[in-house]
Amino acid sequence: MNNSKKFLPGLFLVLIIVFLILGAILYLAAYFWGFFLILLAGILYFIRQVITLGPAEAKLNVKLMGKKLMVPVVGILCSMILAILIMIITGYDPLTVLKSLFYGGFIRNWHVSVLNATPLIFTGLSIAIGFKAGLFNIGAEGQYYIGTMAATYLGLKLGLPPFLSIVLIYLISASAAAAYNIFPAVLKVKTGAHEVITTMMFAHIARYLSPIFVLANGGDPATSTHVYVTDEIIRTNFLPYFSSFLPEANYRLHIGILIALITAVAINFFLNRSKYGYEIRAVGANADAARAQGISVGRNIILALVMGGFLAGMAGVTETLGLNHKMFQNLDAGYGFNGISVALLAGNHPIGIIFTSLLWGALDAGGQYMSRTTGVPGAIVEIIKGMILFLIVAKYIYSWAGNRLVSRRKARAEEGLA
Amino acid sequence: MNTFLAIFNADLLVSTIRLATPIALAAIGATICERSGIVNIAMEGIMVVGAFMAVVFTFLSGSPWVGLVAGILGGGIFSLIHGAATISLHMDHTVSGAVLNILALGVTRYLMILFYGHPGTTDSIPISLKAYQFAIPGLSRIPLLGPLLFNQTPIVYLSFLILIAATILMGKTKTGLHIRAAGEHPLALETIGVSVYKIRYLGVFISGLLSGAAGAYLSIENAVSFSEGMTSGKGFIALAAMISGGWSPIGAYLAALFFGFADALQIRFQIMSRVRIPAEIFIIFPYVLCIIAVAGLVRRSRAPKADGKDFMIEKSE
Repeated sequence: MNNSKKFLPGLFLVLIIVFLILGAILYLAAYFWGFFLILLAGILYFIRQVITLGPAEAKLNVKLMGKKLMVPVVGILCSMILAILIMIITGYDPLTVLKSLFYGGFIRNWHVSVLNATPLIFTGLSIAIGFKAGLFNIGAEGQYYIGTMAATYLGLKLGLPPFLSIVLIYLISASAAAAYNIFPAVLKVKTGAHEVITTMMFAHIARYLSPIFVLANGGDPATSTHVYVTDEIIRTNFLPYFSSFLPEANYRLHIGILIALITAVAINFFLNRSKYGYEIRAVGANADAARAQGISVGRNIILALVMGGFLAGMAGVTETLGLNHKMFQNLDAGYGFNGISVALLAGNHPIGIIFTSLLWGALDAGGQYMSRTTGVPGAIVEIIKGMILFLIVAKYIYSWAGNRLVSRRKARAEEGLA
Repeated sequence: MNTFLAIFNADLLVSTIRLATPIALAAIGATICERSGIVNIAMEGIMVVGAFMAVVFTFLSGSPWVGLVAGILGGGIFSLIHGAATISLHMDHTVSGAVLNILALGVTRYLMILFYGHPGTTDSIPISLKAYQFAIPGLSRIPLLGPLLFNQTPIVYLSFLILIAATILMGKTKTGLHIRAAGEHPLALETIGVSVYKIRYLGVFISGLLSGAAGAYLSIENAVSFSEGMTSGKGFIALAAMISGGWSPIGAYLAALFFGFADALQIRFQIMSRVRIPAEIFIIFPYVLCIIAVAGLVRRSRAPKADGKDFMIEKSE
């Protein structure tokens, strides 16, 4: 009896994980029926909750989860309504725009969305870990540049067996980006220089120095007219493609997204279940209280920023080994800023960042598709993104509106009484 | 020696002032904003909006003066979003600022495609404010200082006036006292019957106006068009100038001059370097100095006590 009580939830857990992983891989590779596996995993999860906790509590959990998702959903709906208004004002047919935006982003060019989302997950995590420690790693873009440069350099030179080579490139390049972020971290601890300024400045420095690197590694102004670009990295250093094991997947889709997912799960575990993660969160929540508990504030500030640098560097490595295979001089990626958006949207929750990055990636991919097919400026997506961001981050807006409504009703009721 | 003279001459000082002007305007604005208790890292975004509006309205009206007013007001109105978010909606100040920076890029890019049909750089305006450079008779004859201070373009003069006005506002007027109180001890201000919300909105709005002017300077005085990324971190350098300047308008201006000097020097070095040194080495010079200045001076200057702290009044129903 006792045995079966433990056996069943255990079996369910294994099934949920298997379905979830399989479903995610398939779905991300644009095998859309993978979605049913994810759905199945969700249903199994609910059944498991009913078995282990009893129906009442399971229902409550679902309700709580729904409440948590309320703000994002309402925010997205509200910004869609606003976007429709803007489209009408500026003379575009909202129906055509939205239709091709969603068709392009979520179905037709879903693989582009996934490719877009991959680096965003890393930079989003980088910024989220900073926020958890009460720090704003606004210069993630710079660390991304360092990661890209290191990965390109090693990718050009390192000719070890493929797997070993890729792992080494990941470790060394991301560590270089992490090391780059030590400077602002130490300055913050030693002198109190605000990380918003220092990381931003370091980002500009990395950006402006990158052309030197590109030119030194094959960027020949004589051969290329306006875009300077390095030579292509060694073929064995490419990240494997999905199409090598899923024949119908898009040929550009690389396994970087899976590395991103694993990293997100690992960071989630680190932040919420490990001692170091607890310390980082404690420092972010209340530095004085953390100090009183005997937690070293300085050490955790450095740890959070260095880890942030490592993650942003991983974004650069993934883009280089998986997608670009070389470095462009005018690499104006914008992953730093977009990373801020996805982190804020997800409330700095590592798992949430996966979804917000996919949403952001899909909006970008859909915007491109839309402007190609309908001629509507793709930049309308930037507006939609901005509004979604604002309406979700400014959570207080809902309780403010609610209060307004209630007090007005109250006033009206009082008037009626009088 | 010849090279030395070619770099360090009166022209260097003139371009120092020119390059310092946008940083100074935004930094003075940020100073007033932060003295009222609102952290503003959205200057970069507000500058982008101001620069864009200035170009569009110059284009529509044919007069850069209309563009200047539009740039200033555009910055002011855009900054009110930051005000609403931080003051009325109690959002985290840095988060709101970051969101606004992102929003500014999206809005200008969309509007640019709407007006001009392409992203990147707008068409050139017919006449820029540089054409209105004028020398103040008499004063401009003073050796060295004359051409430096009294033979300038309109927004540079405006920045001098704003420096004086901001110093008087913060130091000598009642409103200035209220602004400082809102940043140091908002509850005390509220107790004497002054609305902290209103004062903070005022602070944010002023900083928006000035950042808008800084943006207009970049697009319609220093250039003849708006291009994406033309602010290149100046909003953040202004933030550094505000901190290095110890949260006072004059300090902010001096710090901005320092960063302008670094920038002017960098441009000269780039032109002068005959040896094969990549120009990029010099471009990063102002950013490095900015880090050093913030790291070196931040201990000595003190931020307003309630800077970045949310203030909420509970109204009795």
